[in-house]
Amino acid sequence: MSRVPPRASELAVGHELPPFELPLTSTMIVAGAIASRDFMPAHHDPAFAKAQGAPDIFMNILTTNGYVSRYVTDWAGPEAMVKSIKIRLGAPAVPGKPLRFSGRVARKSEAGDECVLELAVRAANDLGDHATGTVVVTLPGRP
Amino acid sequence: MAEAEVDAVRERLEKYIGHPMGPASVAPDPVNVPMIRHWVAALDDRNPVYLDDAFARTTRHGGIVAPPAMLQTWSMPSPKIEGIAERGGSPVEIPADNVLRALDAEGFTGTLATNSELEFARYLHPGDLLHVSNELESVSSRKTTGLGQGYFVTWVNTYRTDDGEIVGRQLFRVFKFDPRTIDLGKLKAAR
Repeated sequence: MSRVPPRASELAVGHELPPFELPLTSTMIVAGAIASRDFMPAHHDPAFAKAQGAPDIFMNILTTNGYVSRYVTDWAGPEAMVKSIKIRLGAPAVPGKPLRFSGRVARKSEAGDECVLELAVRAANDLGDHATGTVVVTLPGRP
Repeated sequence: MAEAEVDAVRERLEKYIGHPMGPASVAPDPVNVPMIRHWVAALDDRNPVYLDDAFARTTRHGGIVAPPAMLQTWSMPSPKIEGIAERGGSPVEIPADNVLRALDAEGFTGTLATNSELEFARYLHPGDLLHVSNELESVSSRKTTGLGQGYFVTWVNTYRTDDGEIVGRQLFRVFKFDPRTIDLGKLKAAR
């Protein structure tokens, strides 16, 4: 959040969001699961997760959406409004494998006195793409 | 597998399409600051509009707003911890009859989440009380993937406030597969 938010007028299609690497621990996965009130054992109980064929406990979808949203608003700033988060889920996010976030402006349009940005976003780890998709966010000010 | 059998499974699922997956529910608590605080600490999200009311009033949010990705969190049922592992991880008693249970009974016991689509009509403020209803949108024809054979099942949750205003929508898609049909040779080759 220490960054200066982008100005709508200065953003072009193809603009890349700064990459972000999230080191991932068991504590972070459990904290996200419980803060989102998801008590599925696969998100906090390693023995249960392994019995299901997973390598370890893995991040729940609500937390993935939370980090995707955080990645976008860390860049877009507090005036940003997230309109949608549409992701395809792939490799599990597991402890010890950092998640690397990247994104770019895929489309840009104007609605009233807002700038609407369609961002192509990816979160990947050593196992592959954890989440890929589109986040639509609006910023005040015309494009 | 004979074509007739494929159709028979799919046909037995047809009756669920367009109907609720489970009962509609009301969030146990309205949108509130303590749960927001818990979430932003867990995810280390420092966007000030989630906790700093004085700052948030200077933005177009007009005051504290909940992180949009918390949408589903508000409506999560109070969990019944005892027996959670025996229920396959379900925090609540599972409805006896829905499309997922029907697929389990047909041997498609594996579940892999493939898509999540969240849409926010507006940000939520402390005090908003959410009502959620759900509907089974579609069941694909039988597909063969790296995880064997199965069906893509898609449902939609709709979130409304007390006065009926739709504030958000969430689409989920899972692949329900038969673990016995996984082609291990193919899986190994893919790695």
